[in-house]
Amino acid sequence: MGHVEQPDEQPGGGFSTPVGSRRTFFHWVTAAAAGLVGLGLAIPLFSTLISPALRRRRRDWVDVGAIDDLPSGQPRQLDHVTSIRDGWLETTSRKAVWAVKQPQGGITVFSPICTHLGCGYRWDDSEQKFLCPCHGSSFDVNGQVVGGPAPRPLDTLPSKVEGGRLLVMYKDFKSGLPRSVET
Amino acid sequence: MPSRIYEWLDTRLNLKPVQRTLLDEPIPGGASWIYVFGSVTLFLFVLQAATGMFLALYYAPTPDHAYDSVRFIETEVTLGWLVRGLHHWGASAMVVAIGLHMLQTFLYGAYKSPREVMWMVGVMLFLLVMTFAFTGYLLPWDQTAYWATQIGINMVGTVPLMGDFASRVLRGGEILGALTLSRFFAIHVLFLPAILIAGIAIHLFVLRRVGPAGPWTDERASLSAETFAPRQVYMDAVVIAGVFLAVAALAISIPLPLTDKANPSDTSFVPVPEWYFLFYYELLKYVHGPLEPVATWVLPLCVILIMLFWPFIDRNPVRNPIRRPVALGGGILFLLVVFGLLGISIKNLYAVPRADPSVARGRAIYAQLGCVGCHRIHGEGGAVAPDLSAVGDTRPDREWHVKHFRDPQSVSPGTFMPKFPLSDEQLHDLTSYMLSLKRAT
Repeated sequence: MGHVEQPDEQPGGGFSTPVGSRRTFFHWVTAAAAGLVGLGLAIPLFSTLISPALRRRRRDWVDVGAIDDLPSGQPRQLDHVTSIRDGWLETTSRKAVWAVKQPQGGITVFSPICTHLGCGYRWDDSEQKFLCPCHGSSFDVNGQVVGGPAPRPLDTLPSKVEGGRLLVMYKDFKSGLPRSVET
Repeated sequence: MPSRIYEWLDTRLNLKPVQRTLLDEPIPGGASWIYVFGSVTLFLFVLQAATGMFLALYYAPTPDHAYDSVRFIETEVTLGWLVRGLHHWGASAMVVAIGLHMLQTFLYGAYKSPREVMWMVGVMLFLLVMTFAFTGYLLPWDQTAYWATQIGINMVGTVPLMGDFASRVLRGGEILGALTLSRFFAIHVLFLPAILIAGIAIHLFVLRRVGPAGPWTDERASLSAETFAPRQVYMDAVVIAGVFLAVAALAISIPLPLTDKANPSDTSFVPVPEWYFLFYYELLKYVHGPLEPVATWVLPLCVILIMLFWPFIDRNPVRNPIRRPVALGGGILFLLVVFGLLGISIKNLYAVPRADPSVARGRAIYAQLGCVGCHRIHGEGGAVAPDLSAVGDTRPDREWHVKHFRDPQSVSPGTFMPKFPLSDEQLHDLTSYMLSLKRAT
């Protein structure tokens, strides 16, 4: 350093603490070192903390059965086993969906949960309606509300046919809202 | 802006005296790079505490989930591998920093009156850190963790009268299992940090009561003195940043793969302890039979007691190392034994034939030449030529293989094995691969 320095040592004892620009230099190097370590630690630590929030649940297509087994215009409950990843845990759970083969050939797949408050509904053959046992909501074969407190039609799930098999992407929806909102 | 906030707070909280107490402590003889190790150790403790807290966000201390949760940290959590790496290498760095800190204290005779209490508290802090290392080692619940801990606890069991009881307390019963893991976890993350923080507080309190020792001659100490800030703080900070970068570089460049999940029924697994326990691991190999308890507990206990009460054993008031030949000689002898054993142990570990790179290259040649079309290894490949699954056992002769690859007819007349144009190096690699194929694998 080219500037004039205070004497570093005072002969005969006493304090020789740096002052002036020398002191500033030490101060800045200390601050830089602290900043480096702080930032170097903050980045990985903060990343691990927010990591799960950055991840969206991955949804996969699940095979729920052969399309030939579906009668035309008549809803069928299809059970399937799906695996759920919860951190390092992987659990399997049984899920059901309602599938209706339309007379024109397309297939509509409904979430098995009533849009009112989240009960499981069933298909009533004699009335030709989906009936929810909790509060009496009812839906027609296309999922439209025909009675009761349900605020919106049944939620449909993405589906596709591959090699004669019906594949469904299972989702959960919030109940009680006028529009379909995924949870 | 920060200074204005400070001023504002100072007018209310009267911070200036606190600042003076913390930063204006006089250092006899002035600041020095040799005094940084205590601060470095303290920084590494903070690093361990911070990374440990974030690892605990994901870790599950049960045998069902511990291994999977650590693997989850390693593979799924964003930068989780880096936090785990920092924690792992931070532990090693802490052992090194404490070692250097104690060495400096020993060399400078800084444990002598009036600083005996500081030394004794320091030795206890060192033992606590080793307990940290021992309890933390089990937590990943992989084979290494499980079997190394098994051995550690069994050693406690060799202590007469109370050993059996002590080892059952450590394990939480008869077997190393769920109760062991949960108590090691609790000790590692709750008990030890609390005790260690209290110990550090006492260590620093004593330091502030008696002051730093400074140079070993009073003449040099009285030549000059300066306050802790800014020059010693600057030196500490520079070295701390360097240590952090080194730990981060190790964490980034050396992956820490888990071994297989702990399997209590697989007694064939040979665990290797962390490097800082290796010297002791090596020592145990030389002691067998009736002398074994000497190595497993008599000797460690003696070393710990000597370390703890060292200021009262070495009563020579002189601090200059040149004028303390006995103490210095004893210290050097101790280090020679420890590092000698460590060296032998590392040499032995690396003498064990591990994965030979030529085997991997040979396997690649085997795949490249399409040998699998005719030969079968562990059920894979054609069945027209001999099965090679255990060819290392049936034909252990390297020369035979080299000759055979050069010209199959020369050693096996009538064979339909074709000649392959291979360089000497490729022949060597392919043969190494053949010889590695044994029944055991």
